[in-house]
Amino acid sequence: MHLTDEQLNEYLDNEIADRTLFDSHLASCGECAARLTALQSLFAELDSLPEVELTHSLASQITLHAASSPQLPRWLTLTATLQAALALIALVLAAPFVMNLLPAIETPSFTEILIQLQSQWLTLFNLITNYQLPNLPTLPPLQIPTLTLSLALAGASLLWLVGNGLLLRRQIK
Amino acid sequence: MTAPTDRDLIVRARRGDGDAFSELVTRYQTNVFNVCYRILHERGEAEDLAQETFMRAYHRLEQFDLEREFGPWVRRVAANLCLNHLESQKVNAPLDEERDADESQRPEKQVEVRERSEQIRGALASLPAHYRVVVELRHYQELSYDEIASELKIPLSDVKSHLFRARKLLAEKLHAPD
Ligand SMILES: [Zn+2]
Repeated sequence: MHLTDEQLNEYLDNEIADRTLFDSHLASCGECAARLTALQSLFAELDSLPEVELTHSLASQITLHAASSPQLPRWLTLTATLQAALALIALVLAAPFVMNLLPAIETPSFTEILIQLQSQWLTLFNLITNYQLPNLPTLPPLQIPTLTLSLALAGASLLWLVGNGLLLRRQIK
Repeated sequence: MTAPTDRDLIVRARRGDGDAFSELVTRYQTNVFNVCYRILHERGEAEDLAQETFMRAYHRLEQFDLEREFGPWVRRVAANLCLNHLESQKVNAPLDEERDADESQRPEKQVEVRERSEQIRGALASLPAHYRVVVELRHYQELSYDEIASELKIPLSDVKSHLFRARKLLAEKLHAPD
């Protein structure tokens, strides 16, 4: 029995535990020895393949990529800056409204505030429990600013959520 | 002062030291490029894949086992990336073979005495993608059958059949009388 191609391959790949049987057959069989030599010469040919040189170093390009990847992309940094700027603008814009609201409270003492809040809460509570919707339009002077304010607030919240959501997603990744 | 070991460089690179990673790239770029070039047989593509290999390595640096050697690891990453790359453009494979065949039929190519190494590269390039990568891992990275199987996530029997068929095809290409 001659050695199979598979056996010859495994023999040269050192994937055979007991080589003695193979060695004795190869020593006595010219045909198998010749097939082994042919396979060996292919191995040698593959081994002879020289390494080629790179025309330019990859190091600089890769380091640039690698260094920039943990950083935030420009557009995200811009969003964060925009958030901060808008928050500042909102604060400045909100100041007059807050100033307008402050005199209405007439800066009473802390207990007075508490009592007032309590009574306000009670009226509000009554309002809610009685469900008197027509009572709501009793705030006409505040209506327009409230609308603008809530719109601004909603816009700011949206930006805040989007911006932070993106930041968070980036960190998780 | 002795040069830092690969291990030192990896530890530093993990802490965000770009120069340390750059040094690792410098040490292994020729190796990695040659893996890609043997499998892809196209310089530009091989450079792109070598670059991608290092990017991949950089992002996987946290998972890298410091007890292992960086060189063999990064070369296996390269072989795998090249295989994925070849498989993603499988549609082009028959075209490549046609182009190869056309080239060998052109009289000036037949007359021209190509360097033996070019013939070997050409023969490797004519193999199916999986065969090329198995030959790369066995002959150039000296992995055992088992190691190749686990690296490529294929059965041992496939490793053997790919490798043995690849060698048969290579022998036919390289030892055919001109
Ligand atoms: Zn025999």
